[in-house]
Amino acid sequence: MPRADFLFSLVLIAVGIAAAAEAWRMPRFENLGVHPMTAPGLTPGLLGLVVAGLGLALLLGAVRAGGWQRSAPATAGQAAERRSTLGRVALALLLTLGYAAGLVGHMPFWLATAIFVFLFVALFEWPLHEGWRRRLRGLAIAAVLAVATGLAVTYLFEEIFLVQLP
Amino acid sequence: MQALTYFLDGLLSIGSDPIALFAVVWATLLGMAVGMMPGLTATLGVALLTTLTFRMAAGDAILILICMYVGAIYGGSRSAILLNIPGTPANAASALDGFPLARSGRAGEALVLTTVGSTLGTLFGLIALALVAPLLAEFALSFGSFEFFWLAVFGVIISGHLTAIDNPIKGWIAGFLGLLLATVGQEGIHAYQRFSYGWTDLAGGIGLLPALVGAFGFAEILSVMKAQRYQAVRDMGSAALPKLREIWGYRRTVLRSGFLGTLMGLIPGVGEDMGAWSSYAAARRASKEKALYGKGSREGLLAAETGNNAAVPGALIPVLVLAVPGSAPAAVLLAALLIHGIRPGPLIMIESPAFVYEVAGMLLFAAAGILVLGLLLTRPLLAVLAVPRERLMPIVFVLCTVGAFAIASRVFDIWVMLAMGLFGFALREMKYPMAPLVLGIVLGDILDKSLRRGMTLTDGDFAPFLTRPISMILALACLATILFSFGAVRRAFAAGLARIRWPGRGRAGTRP
Repeated sequence: MPRADFLFSLVLIAVGIAAAAEAWRMPRFENLGVHPMTAPGLTPGLLGLVVAGLGLALLLGAVRAGGWQRSAPATAGQAAERRSTLGRVALALLLTLGYAAGLVGHMPFWLATAIFVFLFVALFEWPLHEGWRRRLRGLAIAAVLAVATGLAVTYLFEEIFLVQLP
Repeated sequence: MQALTYFLDGLLSIGSDPIALFAVVWATLLGMAVGMMPGLTATLGVALLTTLTFRMAAGDAILILICMYVGAIYGGSRSAILLNIPGTPANAASALDGFPLARSGRAGEALVLTTVGSTLGTLFGLIALALVAPLLAEFALSFGSFEFFWLAVFGVIISGHLTAIDNPIKGWIAGFLGLLLATVGQEGIHAYQRFSYGWTDLAGGIGLLPALVGAFGFAEILSVMKAQRYQAVRDMGSAALPKLREIWGYRRTVLRSGFLGTLMGLIPGVGEDMGAWSSYAAARRASKEKALYGKGSREGLLAAETGNNAAVPGALIPVLVLAVPGSAPAAVLLAALLIHGIRPGPLIMIESPAFVYEVAGMLLFAAAGILVLGLLLTRPLLAVLAVPRERLMPIVFVLCTVGAFAIASRVFDIWVMLAMGLFGFALREMKYPMAPLVLGIVLGDILDKSLRRGMTLTDGDFAPFLTRPISMILALACLATILFSFGAVRRAFAAGLARIRWPGRGRAGTRP
């Protein structure tokens, strides 16, 4: 955690200073007789400075905890677990971002949803099933769930709750 | 007397309407299911239902959201007991004693105890809401820009401090990042578009609901998919009805937890988690069975569950009378109130005095809902825990996407949801609390307008922010909270107190 704190503190300091600098550049409407202390940049400027200050406090704590050094190399077991965890997160990210940013809005909503749900269930459950028979059953369940979700969500939102879908 | 009339009118209007009663049943049940499923929180449940109910009449929509809120905070205890995974963060304390009870074959008893505790906590809180909210509203009528500025700062600081006790700096970072995010878009005094760079969608600002759905929905989906799979306890044991004599034996614990839970709810941005933890810690300190805590103490479980549900009405008090949320789900409820044209704030007791008591009535129905449904459906609801995350999470993400889009029909809001989800996930991984971030986003507008309006009133002089009595108290409270987060200050303060109590010993150099 000290390593992550160290790196994030640098990001915070940069974000805080950038926000304060940007706030300084905002108009002060002096030509309209507006008091400079009520200018639009006042609050973001102060908040930027506070965020940078908190980033600095985090940085000092992280440096004291040795966060500027690289962490000790992981054992084989830890590395394998980390790879598995990262793999799951990466797959979840790929599927969710692909759905929300790629599929939705480019095809009928029910179809986009059905494709996403099918891929999500099928890909995540694939390693859990052993043997082709179980895997085929898993794929069939994924397909049924996918179509049911696509149709049910579309009907529920559009017809019952009168909500417009993307 | 007028208050009682409003309250009874509220009860009658719900009780005599079959559709409203049906809404109580389904929304409470849905809330319990949402709370039970690790990864689905009360905040997400209330946010998604807000998007579904925004075309309904205000009273119906708020009733549904309150039932969802109460149901989810209660429902989370089930996964805490049966899986050792709190369904919502508010149920973390319940896992300490609930899971050992379940492992020893007394899951049924534990579930009944939590049902009674949650019901009593909600009842205690709603009574406090009906009594305290009008008084607080009257007091808040004297608040001006100066006081609201410090209230916003105090909210972020106390929320950051209490939700990140190990390292309050992380809580404050989350809170101030939320405040900074809230400054994006067109500001309310000169209509200048801050940090928008000509992007029309961004000029509209970051919507609270898409941001919440991202931070509590998408981020949680990633966290759940990252974690290992879980196994539920299947042996329920006996006890499907509460033992009233036992509950009576714990009456002091219930009252203390109800009080502490409500108090934690009242404090901006702190909410149910601290309601449970503070009640649990106080019950342990006062208990005759301290040794049992952490190993299956029924008293500890009752305290935690009473405390977190008492925090729900507690968190609604500042929402109604100050427009400042007491917790993350309450922040969504605040947004829902605004969507439905209800103006929370100090004027609520003047503009719509019946509404506060109607909310108390809705809470009473929600409490009755969790008691009846919780006791009747103890075993059937276990089926919810059997749903594999691989099948549940994609459906939740679909709802997050629709929920983010639904309110304003803007694709931009889906992008906000995704961005806030990724940001929230990264913050969670680095152990930053989410509640101060949400509170910051909600309070950002109040802080900005109050600071600049105050400066306008004083022609640029900051002194009144520090010299007006309530402002001074709030400013000192901020300072004290920051100073007391340093161990050295706490130790020096304790030493100073000890010297005042035992002056002779202090001079003689002996420790009291």
